[in-house]
Amino acid sequence: MKNIIVFILLTTPFYLIAQENNSQLWEKANAYYTTEEYQQAVSIYEQIVQSGQESAKLYFNLGNAYYKTGDVNNAILNYERAKVLAPHDEDIEFNLRIANQFVVTKIEELPQPFFLRWRKSVTDKYPADTWSMISISAFILFLIFLGLFVFSKAAAFKRVSFWFGVTTIVLSAFTFSFANQQKKEIKTRNHAIVFCPRVTVKSSPSESGTDLFLIYEGLKIEVTDSLNTWKEIKLADGNEGWLPDSCIVKI
Amino acid sequence: MIRKLITYTFLFLTVIIAHAENTRFVMSAPNAVETGKQFRLSFTINERGTNLRLPSGLTDNFDILMGPSTGQSTSIRTINGRTTQEISYSYTYILRAKKEGTFEIRPASIEVGGKIFESNSLKIQVVKAQSNPAVTQPGAQPQRGTQNVDLGKDNLFVRVEMSKRNVYRGEQIIATVKLYVNPNINIGGFDEVNLPTYEGFYTQDIEIPQQINFTREVYNDKIYQVGVLKKTILFPQQNGKITVEPFSMSVLVQELVKPRSFFDDFFSNYRTIKASMTSDPVTVTVKNLPTEPANFLGGVGNFNITSDISSENVTTNDAVTLTLNISGNGNIRLIRNPELELPTDFEVYDPRATDNVKATANGASGTKTIEYLFQPRFEGDYTIPAIKFAYFNPSTGKYVTKSTQEYNLNVVKGSAEQSATVVSSLRKEDVQLIGQDIRFIKQGNPMLKTKGYTFFGSPGFYSFYAGSSLLFLLLFIVYRKKAKENANVALVRNKKANRIATKRLKAAAGHMKQNNNEAFYESILKAFWGYLSDKLGIPIADLNRDSAINKLQERKVSEEVISNFAEVIDQCEFARYAPAGGSEARQELYKKAETTISRFEKQIRR
Repeated sequence: MKNIIVFILLTTPFYLIAQENNSQLWEKANAYYTTEEYQQAVSIYEQIVQSGQESAKLYFNLGNAYYKTGDVNNAILNYERAKVLAPHDEDIEFNLRIANQFVVTKIEELPQPFFLRWRKSVTDKYPADTWSMISISAFILFLIFLGLFVFSKAAAFKRVSFWFGVTTIVLSAFTFSFANQQKKEIKTRNHAIVFCPRVTVKSSPSESGTDLFLIYEGLKIEVTDSLNTWKEIKLADGNEGWLPDSCIVKI
Repeated sequence: MIRKLITYTFLFLTVIIAHAENTRFVMSAPNAVETGKQFRLSFTINERGTNLRLPSGLTDNFDILMGPSTGQSTSIRTINGRTTQEISYSYTYILRAKKEGTFEIRPASIEVGGKIFESNSLKIQVVKAQSNPAVTQPGAQPQRGTQNVDLGKDNLFVRVEMSKRNVYRGEQIIATVKLYVNPNINIGGFDEVNLPTYEGFYTQDIEIPQQINFTREVYNDKIYQVGVLKKTILFPQQNGKITVEPFSMSVLVQELVKPRSFFDDFFSNYRTIKASMTSDPVTVTVKNLPTEPANFLGGVGNFNITSDISSENVTTNDAVTLTLNISGNGNIRLIRNPELELPTDFEVYDPRATDNVKATANGASGTKTIEYLFQPRFEGDYTIPAIKFAYFNPSTGKYVTKSTQEYNLNVVKGSAEQSATVVSSLRKEDVQLIGQDIRFIKQGNPMLKTKGYTFFGSPGFYSFYAGSSLLFLLLFIVYRKKAKENANVALVRNKKANRIATKRLKAAAGHMKQNNNEAFYESILKAFWGYLSDKLGIPIADLNRDSAINKLQERKVSEEVISNFAEVIDQCEFARYAPAGGSEARQELYKKAETTISRFEKQIRR
């Protein structure tokens, strides 16, 4: 216990310094972007990312800077990264849509069952942390209603607090699961962006595999498996195949 | 009145001018001659003149061999019943040039009706005498019909003459296709004419008479009969060297055949031969234009622009026409329409462009008229910005920007009737997407976190649940314990209430026997207040007569008992300060108090 406190006390100043530097870098990069010196903006944003820090805003701005320098692949990659952290941000959605116009491969997405779509749309309303906050608040409300239920003497009051209590605990449980879902998405990151201008997807993880289909740069794919330097990927339209992992960058 | 006067004056003036033009005195001669050869110098005048005076200094360079021989010709024309008669008198001299060079013949003068008229002046180039071309081939058999022969490049050739060889892109060049013929060769007609195709140029033909007029011209110190076959204005469209490919044509030449016998002279002693010729390629060097300024629309030459607006005060939905006029000399047809920047909520129609370009020997010139038609939809004051027009002037090698004036358009709302008819055609204005771009970066605090970190799932997150649950449990336990204790105390006091009351009453009875009045009343009051306090769960400090009665009524104690209670209390309070009554009264009070408490005990339920 003591060790932990000492450790925290020792590391906090460094952390603060890093934070301070990063916020200075952030301002500098934004200034470069505003004066249309996009290349410099990109390198500074990347510097912040290299320091092990991240945020939806950072990825969004980095994506913008990449877009302006004409590097659409990196722009899409960073927009997708931002989207994971802030799934319901309209600006990210908008810019990603524009950047995706440059993607050559056009994919018809497989339709998902309605309940999955609904759940996805609800889950994506907020990032994991907001859901956790809602879950905690609902839980505390539940405890308050429970208290009221236990200690109140009037029967009507008891009944009302009982139902409210049930509602809040259910809400808390659901939001917990939403938060869990979002967290899983951040943690697993099993999507990737294709960076090779043109890549042939093979039926097996070797050069001699049968050519299945061609995909072009900028496409978002799902990584389902990996073997040595090969990755099994799945497109949104359900097609699967193997390609070398040098061709993709994970979100 | 004034207008009439002006009209008359104008008519009068034209008459005078017409009259003045009536007398024409013209001098003519070939523009190129050889030394030692005779040529004619002739004067024509359409009225009888006297005292013709030859140009001064004529005899310095030319010998007058003969002249003047006069002639007269009359032509009568009848057009639509109107007959005009024209008489012309001519004076002809035969001259011979003395030496080579270019000489100017100054105007001659003549007297007509007491007035002296002067002729035009002339320029004559005199070249060395040349030998006759060898038209006949030695040993060639006389042949009827046509045959291909080469008459020698010097005697018959075609040439493309360019007015300039080194130009800017878009600058106009006048290309003339000329046929050069030795004066001793007779051209019978044209057989095949493949005029050059000017690849890499935008072309515009200059109209020349259908009939080819041969004029004399000196080329390479030789006199030729020169016929202009075609005149074209060329606008180079690409940079670098552009070559006009050689073209070929053939002409029919009438050739004098040497008589074989004496009789042949009587019959056809000419034969027709076909002569083909090919021109030399001509190269033009095209320079690229310097860096184009904004508003450059491809115009190369010398232009002027004007503009005109149909009206500056209009009502909504009125059509307004802005006319832009580009006039000048250059590649007018190749000028793109300048953009008119109108307020975006105007209904704008495609501009209509018409051009009127004349191709003359001086190049292409004319006007291009562009009409911009638009309808203001909403009232207000709008500014129609000036149209800037930049063109390249090849003679100075610089760009020139000219601009029209700015207009202020004052739009008022149309009448209700008018707008009512328009409503059906009105549509909601969509947001006009002019361009598409990504949204701007986000500013403010970046809210950076360590990569992959989320509050969810962290110890802090779970500790919120655990902490709040623990707090709740703690509160619950404490509250339960406290409630239990409270409940016990109340119960005990409730149960003990009767006993204590009886005890106090007994004490009162003791005081009664000792005749201790004050203590007696005190004890009874104490018994009552203590009892009610314990029984009703109210602290003694909060008890008084009224609150006690209220509480008892709430507990549904019968009115009789309450009134008894009130009586006892009143008597006690009263007696404490004014002791009265004997021992019987006290005995009675005691009994009453005893029964009241016992009845309370029955009637106050928990």
